[in-house]
Amino acid sequence: MTAQLVLYFPHLSLALGGLVILLAACLRRTPATLFPILAGVFAALPGLWSLAGPTGASGIGCYYAGLLSVITLATVALTARYAARRGFAGDALYGLVLWSALGMLLLAASDDWLMLIVGLELASLCLYAVVASRLSDPLGTEAALKYFLPGAMSLAVLVFGAALVYAGSGSLIIADSLAAGGPIVSAGLALALIGIGFKLSLAPVHLWTPDVYQGAPAPIAAFLSTGSKAATAAALLHLCAEASPEARELLWPALAGVAGLTMAAGNIGALCQKSVKRILAYSSIAQMGYIAMAAMAVNDGGGEAALFYLAAFALMDLGAFGAVGLLSGEIGDRDDVTAYQGLGYVHPWRAGALAISLLSLAGLPPTAGFIGKFLVFGAALRAGYVGLAAFGIVTAVIGIFYALRVVAALYMQSGVEAHPAIPAPAGPAGGLALGVMAAGVLALGLFPQSLLGAIAALFGGG
Amino acid sequence: MNVPLSHVLAVAAGLFVIGGVMAASRRSILLILIGVEFMLTAGSIVFAGAALAWGNIDGQAAIIIVMGLAAAEAGLGLALLVHGRRGGGSVDADGYARLGGDA
Repeated sequence: MTAQLVLYFPHLSLALGGLVILLAACLRRTPATLFPILAGVFAALPGLWSLAGPTGASGIGCYYAGLLSVITLATVALTARYAARRGFAGDALYGLVLWSALGMLLLAASDDWLMLIVGLELASLCLYAVVASRLSDPLGTEAALKYFLPGAMSLAVLVFGAALVYAGSGSLIIADSLAAGGPIVSAGLALALIGIGFKLSLAPVHLWTPDVYQGAPAPIAAFLSTGSKAATAAALLHLCAEASPEARELLWPALAGVAGLTMAAGNIGALCQKSVKRILAYSSIAQMGYIAMAAMAVNDGGGEAALFYLAAFALMDLGAFGAVGLLSGEIGDRDDVTAYQGLGYVHPWRAGALAISLLSLAGLPPTAGFIGKFLVFGAALRAGYVGLAAFGIVTAVIGIFYALRVVAALYMQSGVEAHPAIPAPAGPAGGLALGVMAAGVLALGLFPQSLLGAIAALFGGG
Repeated sequence: MNVPLSHVLAVAAGLFVIGGVMAASRRSILLILIGVEFMLTAGSIVFAGAALAWGNIDGQAAIIIVMGLAAAEAGLGLALLVHGRRGGGSVDADGYARLGGDA
């Protein structure tokens, strides 16, 4: 019993955290500042748990608990002042963020098809509501609807795929059922991958992403693009690692096509956008293409590379969207690229964090994005996907331009007078989170061995 | 079991395709939601048939969970729709076009 409690401590702490926040709101005279503090405490507990290295927990479970804890903590810190200034802070917002993190944790570490479906749905349902949480903003509602409709379809496709896998194998355990093989299992796996591809916004079904990220409040968009993407990518890696050789032969050419198309669509789509949040959305699409490529090579070292890349991606996207949120005024988020002109001189710290995150997203050294891309392409080359890796490198070079366009706008001398809009104050928590993210991007770029060693140790001990 | 699993799969696949076509081609959010319910029901039918064919109970547990998920999703979807209409939107999915690319 106690061993089970220890094993499920992260899940329990996130689930109870949400309840405690909602209960605290029932008491009279609860100060509104208490909610983000409570959310932060309960979000930090899974991270502490994974640092303690509990006995009996799998290495991969520890890793995702730590990663999702960092993502949730940063989201709460970035949201706290942002939401309070714009009048949508409340118990529901923080409770739903914690429960969404619980769904992501279930999804990332699921061994069972039902757990995978429930985790995905718990994470998504809470996120739909959180995206629309700024009630006065019609753009948020539109973004939530545009997130909801593809999400509902993807759940249906995933459920049907899981049902087919079960029909072909008689087991709901992911490893056992996929090992059974056979045409029905392969067809089910294909449908399940399509459903997950929807959620990851892989290429032919990625068009909802820019709209949703543009319409969602910036810190919430950070949570969407990092937490939900990291957990879904974890499920993709797991399914690809367990796929039978027969299914691989059938599905891998299609997956290679999807990965290539995603990298191209993301990087080229970002080139001609005028909105910074859409640029970041297209960039996150492109990053998921690299993850899909690593997932194909998952048993040849691609898994470790993808785990590192997910951590790097989480830091840089939280930094980028967080900076957009902290640089925004109270009426709407600062979105137009031209509105960023000269901000590098007016707000050097926040603009600097944005610049570092963008350079990392583009994959320039000495940032985490560079090391991550290096590892992912190395794994793909070792696994023999030379053509795909070469294509990916070409698209990554194209991707450097959109990042440089925004960085150039940040440090342009002219136009400082043209856009004097003063952003709302960041608040100590938001500023601290942004600084930690930017420092983390640089630290992972300069000393990648620290995280790589931890990943290798977790797998050795797992 | 009298009905072979392949027949159950064929019916379910038919239902899934009908739901998928409906969800992809209709522009009214309500009808898209109904199409999604069709697709989820197709999954439930496969779970039921497979549970009988394999003689284990996992598939039946899955149906209950899928029903719960479908209900939660429909509830949230309709709530979003009501909220969207209150903000001046419509049931038409194409009516929400304020966000968009300027490429």
